[in-house]
Amino acid sequence: MSQKSLHLRLGIVASLFALFLVLYAIPSFVFAPSNVGNIILSPKFWPFVLAGLTGIVGLSLIFNAMTAASDAPFEDEEDVHPEGSAPWMRLGALAVIMMITMVALPRLGMVWTTMLAFAACAFLFRTRHPKAALVCAVVVPLLLYAFFAHVAGVAVPQGDFVRLP
Amino acid sequence: MSLMDSLAAGLSLVGNVEAFLMLFIGLVVGVVAGAIPGLSATMAVALTLPFTFAMTPINAILLLLGVYKGGIFGGSIPAILIKTPGTPASSATILDGHPMAERGEAGRALGMALYASCTADAVSNLALILFAGWLASFALNFGPPEFFALILFSLTIIAGVSGESLLRGALSALAGLLLATIGLDLVYGTNRFTFGDPNMMGGLNFIAVLIGLFAIPEIIAMAWNPVAHLGRTRALGKSRCTFADYAKSFKSIIRGSLIGVFLGSIPGIGAAPSAFLSYSEARRTSKNKANFGKGEIEGVAASEAGNNGVAGATLIPLLALGVPGDVITAIIIGAFMVHGLQPGPMMFILNVDIIYGLFIGLIVSSVFLLVVGSVAIRGFRFVADVPKRILMPGVLVLCIYGVFAVNNNIFDVGVMFVMGWVGYIMMRNRIPAAPFLIAFILGPLLEDNFRQSMLMSGSDPSILFRGPITWFFWALTAITVFAITRSTLRKTVPLS
Repeated sequence: MSQKSLHLRLGIVASLFALFLVLYAIPSFVFAPSNVGNIILSPKFWPFVLAGLTGIVGLSLIFNAMTAASDAPFEDEEDVHPEGSAPWMRLGALAVIMMITMVALPRLGMVWTTMLAFAACAFLFRTRHPKAALVCAVVVPLLLYAFFAHVAGVAVPQGDFVRLP
Repeated sequence: MSLMDSLAAGLSLVGNVEAFLMLFIGLVVGVVAGAIPGLSATMAVALTLPFTFAMTPINAILLLLGVYKGGIFGGSIPAILIKTPGTPASSATILDGHPMAERGEAGRALGMALYASCTADAVSNLALILFAGWLASFALNFGPPEFFALILFSLTIIAGVSGESLLRGALSALAGLLLATIGLDLVYGTNRFTFGDPNMMGGLNFIAVLIGLFAIPEIIAMAWNPVAHLGRTRALGKSRCTFADYAKSFKSIIRGSLIGVFLGSIPGIGAAPSAFLSYSEARRTSKNKANFGKGEIEGVAASEAGNNGVAGATLIPLLALGVPGDVITAIIIGAFMVHGLQPGPMMFILNVDIIYGLFIGLIVSSVFLLVVGSVAIRGFRFVADVPKRILMPGVLVLCIYGVFAVNNNIFDVGVMFVMGWVGYIMMRNRIPAAPFLIAFILGPLLEDNFRQSMLMSGSDPSILFRGPITWFFWALTAITVFAITRSTLRKTVPLS
């Protein structure tokens, strides 16, 4: 990708986001008391200013892209990933691991959930040391549990099934 | 309180084994983390933060400062041995450090990196001690309009210089400012972007946002390319850095340290530009100009002095004005807040014992760095051998525990994951994360000071230009915007 196309893309996204904020998000989700007479002191003023500035930066990015002299790609940019679609699959799998972690944390407890998350990530990253990964997947969460629960006094979620001392 | 009283108060805080042990552990953690490519000093400080919650404030801050200083030096080890900077600040060290390693002089290059780092660190600490108090006493005259102008200037320079493009930096800073508006309004207490969720009424947790922005994207990047980190390590070789090498490079080391101090005390510039400026100045003035880039030991000394000279100086705006000088000090400001302290001029009156305790700890840290660094150079091979594909899942687990521990709230873990993906998208689109985080921290301060100014003046905006201090910061802001815009335009339209 070149700086020109990157700025064009970012500029369009920033401008649309600014419009979304001004027309929908700020009026709907920022509440101001009805007795605030002066707009400068209203809770909506600052978000409106930031939305306006975002719009200006977005338009500047578009202008910058339109007037850029060169369309050369970034030097350190990879054209096509050698593994094809595999990286996207791994990104998707990691997103699923994170979502499952969020759902499992209150039910399974932090220790068991993080053990599973550790093992899943290590295999997703195609570790060359599967046995060491499994050992670490068990030991690291237990050590962190011991520190946070017994030294720092944090109420680490225990889950509904197996409770640790 | 006299200087001696302040020193005695500081000594009473840090004059125990525990405080120095924390500093030492911090340096070890920092050097190891800095030496592992992909585990930056920023990430190390962010991941260490949750471990400090149960500590006293002084021990916590000393531990984090140790990680910071250790991390900056540690980054030079892989830069020299495997041509991969452990931290962005070590990029300049590659230029001469790696060619020396290829010649079998890695031990000599690493030795010089260590001695230059320790010297620059000591100079930087001295500058902090000399200037922070003076700046804080000056800043006691600041009111809301002056703080507004100062924070605006800090944000402008951070957005402008911390990335390749001013516009992308500005976009990042605006996103951080917008994210900081989530929560209850500062004056009226009404909801802003909370969507009726009580978890969002206090705003998004700072530690969840920072760990999400700086640690999680590295894990996601590992999923994208699990073999990107693989490299070839060079042996240390038999040659060592001698006193003659050090003496020959001493002028460049001192010059680099002063450049680091100057650039470090300006919020936003950071260690990497300082290292490159110090390197180019050393090359410009050196008798061995032709050897630079081919393995000149003076080049290693200059770049390491430049990046380590920043470490103490970034604490000058942090302690004196409450404005973080870079991302790491932004995290450290979070640590101050977690421990109930508010950095800024009032801290020099209310918590002078902590200030002087930190000064004493920082002076000792230069000596500790020499010891820890010497051992780390020999032990790097073991650090480099840690399999990244097991390390990164460990970092993920550590992030989950650390973020949960702040408020005992699983919602914060979700915020961290979301911010991780935001950070990854920013990384892929070359949007710098530093302005985002610093704007997220400074956003409430900026808005608060603006609204206080308006309340003071009856909504008359002329109060924002009320005296020489505000004029000074407005002028700096204008000069910065002008300079960065001009440099951007020159890059966009090449001169024929």
